[in-house]
Amino acid sequence: MTRWTVDGLTARLERFRLGPVDLDLAPGRVTAVLGSSGAGKTTLLRALAGFVPIETGRIVRDGADVTARPPEARRLGYVPQGLGLFPHRTVERNVSYAFEVKGVVDWRARTRPFLERFDLLPLARRYPARLSGGEAERVALARALAAEPDLVLWDEPWQGLDVEVRHELGLVIEELRATERIPVVLVTHDPTLAFSVGDEFVVLRDGAVVFRGDGARLLAAPTDAFLARFVGFENVVAPADLEDAAAGSLAAWLAERAGPGGVAFPRPWVDAAGPWEGVVRSARPTPEGLRLTVRAGALSVALALPPPWPTPIPAVGDRVRFDLRTEALRPLGAEGAGS
Amino acid sequence: MSGGRVRAPVQPGRREGVPWLVLQIVLAGSLLLLFVLPLYALFTYASPAQIVAAWNDRAVQAAIDLTFYASGIAVLAAVVFAIPLGYLLARHPFPGRSVVEAVVGIPVVVPHLLVGLGLFLLVLPGSPLFRFTNAIGFPVYDTIWGVVLVMVFVSAPYTVLAADLSFRAVDGRVLEASRALGAGPATAFLTVAFPLALRGVVAGLLLTWARAVSEIGGILILAYTVYPGGIYDGPVTSTVSVLVYDLFQDGNLAGAAAVSCVFLLIAFALFLAVRLGERSGWVPWRRGELLP
Repeated sequence: MTRWTVDGLTARLERFRLGPVDLDLAPGRVTAVLGSSGAGKTTLLRALAGFVPIETGRIVRDGADVTARPPEARRLGYVPQGLGLFPHRTVERNVSYAFEVKGVVDWRARTRPFLERFDLLPLARRYPARLSGGEAERVALARALAAEPDLVLWDEPWQGLDVEVRHELGLVIEELRATERIPVVLVTHDPTLAFSVGDEFVVLRDGAVVFRGDGARLLAAPTDAFLARFVGFENVVAPADLEDAAAGSLAAWLAERAGPGGVAFPRPWVDAAGPWEGVVRSARPTPEGLRLTVRAGALSVALALPPPWPTPIPAVGDRVRFDLRTEALRPLGAEGAGS
Repeated sequence: MSGGRVRAPVQPGRREGVPWLVLQIVLAGSLLLLFVLPLYALFTYASPAQIVAAWNDRAVQAAIDLTFYASGIAVLAAVVFAIPLGYLLARHPFPGRSVVEAVVGIPVVVPHLLVGLGLFLLVLPGSPLFRFTNAIGFPVYDTIWGVVLVMVFVSAPYTVLAADLSFRAVDGRVLEASRALGAGPATAFLTVAFPLALRGVVAGLLLTWARAVSEIGGILILAYTVYPGGIYDGPVTSTVSVLVYDLFQDGNLAGAAAVSCVFLLIAFALFLAVRLGERSGWVPWRRGELLP
């Protein structure tokens, strides 16, 4: 049971500045580091692993400062972007690498349980070039856990995987949380993955932490338009779109309730008795319901219509009514105003 | 989008047009002919009996022995000195790296007769280097060491460049994975970076060897005749290239062609063995690759 804390960590990589970042990585907790490309997610992970020189701040493992330690002395299970499998080693020799490096004589016997646990025994003699995406993913995880790590760092676990493998991988991460009492840090630009496995969330933007907290807080209080879009609010209305709104229009109603950064709200339901009306621009069936985009005055609004939907489904040009409750609105602060 | 049609992808050979294709084939074919025809001339000028005779000739065998010894040592020298230089260039950006890269290119661009002359002037009898090389037991003038010296000079850059490119091509994330799994920098190099770069390095060593055995310019000046000494204890001889040149100068065209054929056969066999080894996938530097 190892607890890691990160205090005021800043790093610089060429012209990119990261931090300050504070983290509390508790055993059995999954911390999801979110952000768009170039936000510094991978840099943060590589800094935790010891590959990026740290300018200020400390990384502490169970009270001991490990900031100055080289990567090999940090007891990490590190899965880099693209997995970083050794192409010249078989699956077995990939997984056994940590044992071999440590000089463990019976590395083969020590490796076997990890191969078994991730169903890799039939693939033991294969080279990574001949693995499917899901198989490679399992090898990378088995290899990381065989290092008997105190912290798992995983960069973009879902990258390039198909839907089924994603599902399988989600279960693996769940299991990891339950069986391995170690902290896990996941880096992703995919909010779906983050919400499905994360306990703690850190959102980075241009190297700075713009949110840190649990999922409920992240959903309840997106503080700016970037975060709102990022966590999945499909309606994010910028202040410019609310100016000069005609009296009695939806825009005018929203303007009264918006913050300085505009307003965000999830898809409202189509409701024949609703006060607002829009003209359908597109209608797409999905498993969760019909997704509609309508034009309401000057605004474009995304709506939802739960199944069973009427036949024929609303067509482009049709008029639909919808309701929008004040409780659903999230007034936004100016972008980048911080948490 | 009013009636716009998606254009079909260009199909090679169909949409390119026949004249264009013919032109390509003629141009490429001319070059390939140029590569092959001289060999054809060599193998048809010398009769099979003459080739067999050359194969069994003691003087020819001595020249071949010498050439293989010397080029083998040149390849070893490339392993010891050229690979580290390539690694240095690939991994550590340092001030003046482009200067070093330019220096590595010198042997490729300087005419080899000039190389021989330069080396000759360096070890002129009575010069400090002459005394030094004699004192440490590596006299270079008209010895196998002279041959080796010229060969290393002209051929080592190929290994430096190949090692540089190969180490650069190793995925940094794979190296980081090995470090995070507990490998120190040296272990990561030996278990990951080097094995992954090995394929390219071996290709560079093959080029180095091929360049070494084909060298003549520098050897003509520094070690025209090679006397026994060092690791070579056979009869007085010369490298195969110099021997062929001698035979040609003497007007013995058939002899020159026959010796060339013997040497080519051995070189082909060596290259073929390496290629087959690579295709069968048992050579360590192709491990884990998808084979065709």
